Amino acid sequence: MNNIYLPQLVTIEEIRDEAPDVRSFKLVFKDPRLREGFDFKTGQFALYSAFGLGESTFCIASSPTKKGYIQCTFRRSGRVTGGLSQLSVGDTMGFRGPYGNSFPIEEWKGKNIVFVAGGIGLPPVRSVIWNVLDNKADYGNITIVYGAKTVADLVYKDELKAWDEMDGVTLVQTVDPGGETPDWKGKVGFVPTVLEEAAPAAANTVAVTCGPPIMIKFVLNALLKLGFDENSVYTTLENKMKCGVGKCGRCNVGDVYVCKEGPVYTAAEIKRMYNDF
Amino acid sequence: MENTLRQKAKDLLASGEVKVVIGWGWNRTKTRTTPVFITDPAEVDQLVWNPLCVNNLSVYLTRKFKDIQALGKPAIVAKGCDIKNIVVLITEAQLKREDVHIIGVACEGVVYKQELWQGQLKPEIMPTKCHNCDVRNPHVADFVVGGKSTFTPPDEPAGMVFSKIKELDSKSSSERWAFWINEFSRCIKCYACRQVCSLCYCERCITEKNMPQWIETSAHPRGNLSWNLIRAMHLVGRCTFCGECERACPVNIPLNLVNQKMIMVVKDSFDFKSGYDEKVHPPMIVFSPDDKESFIK
Amino acid sequence: MADKILKKEDLAKLIASVTGKGGRFVAPTTAARQIVFKKVSKAEEIAPDYILARNSFKEFLFPQTEVIAEFTVCKDTVDMRGVEVEAPETVVFGARPCEAASLAGMRALFTWDFVDEFFTKRDDNTVVITVGCTKGDEACFCTSVNLSPESTEGADVYMRETEDGGYAVQALTDKGKKFVAAHAAVFSEGSAKARALFMPEKVPGVDLKKISERLKDKSHYDNPVWKKLAMKCIGCGACTFVCPTCRCFDITDEGTAFEGERRKNWDSCQYDSFTLHASGHNPREHQPQRWRNRFMCKFNFYPEKFNSKGCVGCGRCIRVCPVRLDITDVMQEFSK
Repeated sequence: MNNIYLPQLVTIEEIRDEAPDVRSFKLVFKDPRLREGFDFKTGQFALYSAFGLGESTFCIASSPTKKGYIQCTFRRSGRVTGGLSQLSVGDTMGFRGPYGNSFPIEEWKGKNIVFVAGGIGLPPVRSVIWNVLDNKADYGNITIVYGAKTVADLVYKDELKAWDEMDGVTLVQTVDPGGETPDWKGKVGFVPTVLEEAAPAAANTVAVTCGPPIMIKFVLNALLKLGFDENSVYTTLENKMKCGVGKCGRCNVGDVYVCKEGPVYTAAEIKRMYNDF
Repeated sequence: MENTLRQKAKDLLASGEVKVVIGWGWNRTKTRTTPVFITDPAEVDQLVWNPLCVNNLSVYLTRKFKDIQALGKPAIVAKGCDIKNIVVLITEAQLKREDVHIIGVACEGVVYKQELWQGQLKPEIMPTKCHNCDVRNPHVADFVVGGKSTFTPPDEPAGMVFSKIKELDSKSSSERWAFWINEFSRCIKCYACRQVCSLCYCERCITEKNMPQWIETSAHPRGNLSWNLIRAMHLVGRCTFCGECERACPVNIPLNLVNQKMIMVVKDSFDFKSGYDEKVHPPMIVFSPDDKESFIK
Repeated sequence: MADKILKKEDLAKLIASVTGKGGRFVAPTTAARQIVFKKVSKAEEIAPDYILARNSFKEFLFPQTEVIAEFTVCKDTVDMRGVEVEAPETVVFGARPCEAASLAGMRALFTWDFVDEFFTKRDDNTVVITVGCTKGDEACFCTSVNLSPESTEGADVYMRETEDGGYAVQALTDKGKKFVAAHAAVFSEGSAKARALFMPEKVPGVDLKKISERLKDKSHYDNPVWKKLAMKCIGCGACTFVCPTCRCFDITDEGTAFEGERRKNWDSCQYDSFTLHASGHNPREHQPQRWRNRFMCKFNFYPEKFNSKGCVGCGRCIRVCPVRLDITDVMQEFSK
């Protein structure tokens, strides 16, 4: 019997603490065929199991260009992520995926790309960033606007540094007012505001954003104000999911099932959707 | 009676003393009553009062109903038995007495379930609570609609629920266990019992607490048993026997038996009956040197 | 046109013939003062005179709780085992034409790109026999959703009660024809006068096309009418659990830290925890929003997405609602 709810087993190969309560796992499939052959597209998500506690949905945070492993980043906030954060290197967890659509990066070749992320919204964007950076010759200028509540809450701090130092990459970091430290060199302000100040050129440019639902709403507005075409602005919606395969009925935004018809949408598609996320 | 009720509602709304009147109205086909929320004095004619008015509307006074609370101070149309629940809500600091206007209705009994109604209120279609009711004349109210009821409840409580409890009490514990396992086996975990109960006002029920998962959410024997027992325990000394949970249960689990049995135990152990006096706290939250401690062995 | 006759006294033989071959025979029976679909072994167990069962037969295709995997946590790894679906040959007898019409939507959903074999394997092994209604009540509204006691959507075999207490039998699908052939000895040739059917009155003013069009218009989304209609909703899941088309579920783990099982359990869009994110954000925070989702699922998502009925007019949600929230009122409102 083909059981669509049966996860694959993966081993935790590396654990990285990104921020308070935020952790990244490097995962390797136990099944040798999958270890070699597992393929996914940037923007897809998966369901991760802590056995005995259940499954939780988040994106695959690594880039498909990195072979042999996958990474995920999660914030400890519920039953499953609480259980996952108890696991150590070498432990086994479940993985079910990849599911959903992806960012059409093939179509973006030759264009500049602006990435806008907030807090724990960076992981899905990071997958795209590395996918693009690993094929950097195919793309134009890269701008990354990333913010979090406080300096401590910024994730992938090493990678932020690496991006900052790369040629052709502009990184704008910000923290919410009150979240700065004395030696903070970045900006202070909310992501949509900082984005508007940074004012990346909209011509021949694609934008990708992810963050808390309320931030996404404001960033989409800001990008449209900056002159971006609503068909060139992409976001990924992470609603609560249980099955990931269009059956369980809870991730829908109006008539759109995020797990099947998303999670990646253009601003134009979001505009056509019901205001329900 | 209905005219008095409507006039009172109209006066309360028109004067601005209350912003909404929670009462019963007809459904579209005028065959069943349903809760209505009147905010416009011109709409008071929707209010009705008859033996089909079974719902205990006090549930709408709880914090689960934010949309209703947002309307402003409510007046509620309530039978004596419904008022008992309001009293418990006040006792448990869920509501201040001055924050609700109680329009009590003198009552001669209601039907057990609306579908039993065939135009006449007969004793056999009334729930056990009505046969033993000592609050047909509302005991806590700002205004009472209707003439005084002369009904006096029997000295020894009687009716289906009491007979069944007697029958169960005479059985062995394993027989009782088998009885309840069988009854709870039907549970579909819809939580209608909880949602319809004004005393189940927790915004986060223990079934929804999953760190750790106290109650298994599956509708299997273990999950069903733990849910039904925990709910019963959480209502000890608080339940007023309004019967809403049993009425709402889509699979006919005799929850009135559980709750009345608990009431009898509390009466026996603490000489307490909930819902009569908003100034007296329920026994589970107070300690008295006179408390029986016979359960500690 | 009826092909065969099932005589009153031969119903027992049909049950014996099905169970004799190892199948289960599911029919409306009386339990706890209600009509309930249950496995039966004798004709006498079948309720003689009923409107419809309190549960829909969906639970025999999509059980309320089922194990989908088992696991044992070992020292260095986890032993994870998929569970084979139990899908015995099943005959559902005495379903009503309304509830059978829910199958198309269930099938579309459970096979939407990913095939849920827990559902499809059971569905494949189930023969649905509907019996046209000779009785109804005021909650029945099949005629307002383009169905009637004569509808055959979803049925493999359609029967009509006859004046002499038997049934006129019409095999509709291949599965139905095979079923009748497999139990040929039980059925007779001939004809008998069918009992009159009960036709529910149409809910005045209801217009499905209009409802669908109005729901498609995004401006209805924040219509204050949702609040007005659903304010009394207490947010129990009773309506969704008795509904033949509702099929939302939860996946949850149970057991100890070392071994346990993963289960698929019915869930309800009427619960606030249904869409609540771990972050605390809830896209459907208020009960009227959840009610709007339920209504739209039935009158917009199912028809548009799966080209099937989301509401079959069985009226179970109306009968079971503790506050008498009547879906036909909402249909009327959105037909304006």
